[in-house]
Amino acid sequence: MNTFKTPEFRRRAFFAGLGALSTAALVTACGGTTASTGAGSTTPVDGGNITFLIQGYDTGWVSSKTSISSYEGNLWGQITDKLVYVNEKGVLSPWVAESWEELNGAKDFVIHLKKGVTFSDGTPLDAAAVVANLNAWAKGDSTRGVSKVGLFPSSNFVSAEASDAETVKVSFSSPALGFIATLAYHGCILLSPKTLALPVEAQADLSQEIGSGPFVVKSWKQGDTYVLEKRKDYNWGPAALGHTGPARLDTITYKVIKDTSVRTSTVVSGQADVAFNVEPQEIESLKAQGFTVGTPRYLGFVDGFQVNTQAFPTNDPAVRKAIQHGIDREEIRNTVYTSDWNAATTFIQGNVPEAGEFSDSFEFDAEKANKLLEDAGWTKGSDEYRTKDGKTLEFTLTPNPYVPSTKAEDELIAQQLKKVGIKINLKVVDVAGYAAVQASKPPLFQTSRSFVDVGTVAGVLTSQNKGEDWFGLGTSDQKLNDLSTAIATASDRASREKVADELQQYVLEQGYFIPLNQLVQRLYLISPKIKDVQYNGLAYANFYTAWISQ
Amino acid sequence: MTSDYKRFALTRAGQAVVVVLLAYVLTFLVISVLPGDAITNTLRDPQHGLSEEDIQRIVAFYGLDQPVIVQLLLSLGRFLTGELGFSLQSNLPVSQIVGDALPSTLTLATSALLIAIVFAVVIAYGAQYLPGKWAATVRSIPSFFLSVPNFVIGLVLIEFFAFRLHSFTTTDPNSPVATLFAAITLAIPVSAPLAEVLIASLDHESRQEYAVVARSRGLTEARLFAKHLVKPSALPSVAMVALIVGELLGGSVITETIFGRDGIGTVVQKAVTGEDQPVLQAVVSLSAVVFVAVNLVADLASPLLDPRVKLREKVGA
Repeated sequence: MNTFKTPEFRRRAFFAGLGALSTAALVTACGGTTASTGAGSTTPVDGGNITFLIQGYDTGWVSSKTSISSYEGNLWGQITDKLVYVNEKGVLSPWVAESWEELNGAKDFVIHLKKGVTFSDGTPLDAAAVVANLNAWAKGDSTRGVSKVGLFPSSNFVSAEASDAETVKVSFSSPALGFIATLAYHGCILLSPKTLALPVEAQADLSQEIGSGPFVVKSWKQGDTYVLEKRKDYNWGPAALGHTGPARLDTITYKVIKDTSVRTSTVVSGQADVAFNVEPQEIESLKAQGFTVGTPRYLGFVDGFQVNTQAFPTNDPAVRKAIQHGIDREEIRNTVYTSDWNAATTFIQGNVPEAGEFSDSFEFDAEKANKLLEDAGWTKGSDEYRTKDGKTLEFTLTPNPYVPSTKAEDELIAQQLKKVGIKINLKVVDVAGYAAVQASKPPLFQTSRSFVDVGTVAGVLTSQNKGEDWFGLGTSDQKLNDLSTAIATASDRASREKVADELQQYVLEQGYFIPLNQLVQRLYLISPKIKDVQYNGLAYANFYTAWISQ
Repeated sequence: MTSDYKRFALTRAGQAVVVVLLAYVLTFLVISVLPGDAITNTLRDPQHGLSEEDIQRIVAFYGLDQPVIVQLLLSLGRFLTGELGFSLQSNLPVSQIVGDALPSTLTLATSALLIAIVFAVVIAYGAQYLPGKWAATVRSIPSFFLSVPNFVIGLVLIEFFAFRLHSFTTTDPNSPVATLFAAITLAIPVSAPLAEVLIASLDHESRQEYAVVARSRGLTEARLFAKHLVKPSALPSVAMVALIVGELLGGSVITETIFGRDGIGTVVQKAVTGEDQPVLQAVVSLSAVVFVAVNLVADLASPLLDPRVKLREKVGA
């Protein structure tokens, strides 16, 4: 009955096994690639192809509708130009705009364009094209489902006109110091007027998205592969990048690989050159293996909490200050992130030119936090949590679903605040739920938002001028109203910097904002042979100057 | 028999159409009761800084401010005329998104199904004819296959064959070798229930009188297996294969994500996270059509394969 024991079976099994082994060997031999790691020279060379692994291109290619996610932004950065370049320090420099004038107390602007710039469809990038783009950014077209660009100062935008082929005049009804800076924002990409005039469904077709950048789209398969190739006649890159003429690389292939560990391992094994957003915890070991890990900073608000001053228990200033001092940011950096993450010094990122140094007002000091609460009448009960007038000192934290690491961060914060007697309940929600939480105005609301100009800050602090009223104060805090108005309407930078300083100090002293860390939103794992990748002020990698070392 | 069968076939086909339509309506309603919608959620991302008025205007453009029932009727009408609309997230035509993703998934699912069948037959054969100790081990393989998560299998295969042996590159996931490993990843959990059903029915059939008689007449086990046992044992497995279609689609989400393949699985995942109603609607309907069609074929075939299947009971059930 037992076939397994028959000689015939054994012979067959032997051959079957042999077959399996030889197939495996064949498969192995076929796919073998040898990675050569040359010593590398320092003189840039032209040519070569790189593969960039990215998590996804899910939100589509209609640039203004989606306001460009991290993913689209990476690709847009290679195929389109902007009027102005912004570096990691927030310094603006010419790009397609060769120079600009700020007139009439920052209410009028004159932009002088570089000559000879063309879109890849041959259309000149002249004043008329810039006017078409400015109107699209400022107004959008709701009849076609196209929205305006979020950060563009559109509420006081009056008009954009071409004075001649290389000059554009832009007018605002009130000072718009942030206007020129906004032109460097990743939403303000220059597109061919032909593209802008298309219906939204046609704009969704990447091959119809015509820019003037150093690369053009060669082929694409939505959600899978996007091949860009160098534009040979390109000669108008930002001077700040220190390179003229066309890009050095021949092609860049963006390949979607959703799984983070596979993206990382693919680059580590030499099968691809760049991977977007690797795990922060892996950075150290990757660097030790000789890989470059780019952790560029963006301009904007730090990762932190807006405080609702009207909700229990953050309506008590002592509680707000106790939370500020009760959070050990160093431990968060060591546990959730790495030393590549900088400590917050105020509530705006350190690379914003106006960022001040106010770390003292929220430094970690558990003793101080305990004393603040004790003095305010919050006494510890048998369960280690504090109570006052029969109410427990507790509230709910909701991690920011737009920044996945904030879940681990908030878990740690819950443990830290427990030590000073504050009870934190965590509620993890998706993007849809997060909007609902925001609408419910919780005691603490986690924020991280990029901007290009500190003037934007005024629009969120109070309810003045349709502001977002981050702290639930409305217009009740006269000093905050005055400071916000002063920063929004400043017409020169020196006076604005002074106001910005005062504003930061005031907001932090009142415990209106609880800074955590300076966030790194975009991480790049780069093979050692790829040289001279540069990052702009919004933490996007630029491959215009990149080259492959042999 | 023939008129009975005709009535049976018509009823079954009618039921199938109803199931597909119900799946469509149900999907629509489920998505509609979720908080928010793709457009407002995307627009509400604080990075965009859009005003409530801007958001309302764009919501109106997409007709999302209409009552649910109006949206449903419009959507159903378009579906019945074959018009799938545009994706809310990417603005691309849904037919293009699904059409681009379909071939890759079909290749993956078909190869996985074939590999799963081979695995199942090998396991079932081993469970029957290996010596006791070995057979017991082989019998535990299906539970093992079921208990190892799909992504672990995929990651181990990639780590070993792509990164160490360089058998394939993860940047070219549609190459034949990469497809083979993706199919194996998907086949392993899918083969488990198949193998279990096959083992059980082989156990059953081999104890039947005809098998005992055949054996006593000196028929070898291999001939008995091939000539007499396989056919009756396969019947429950055929029904199982029909059910596995769903499993293949579910498993393809993970497999495609890990192997970086673009396919229906990834389309579903993206559509779910983005609440991209038109895409989700199309994919769920497509899956319902495939699932119902495969089951319909299995149902219609079984009375033809085995006269013992009673038609009347089936109709009533």
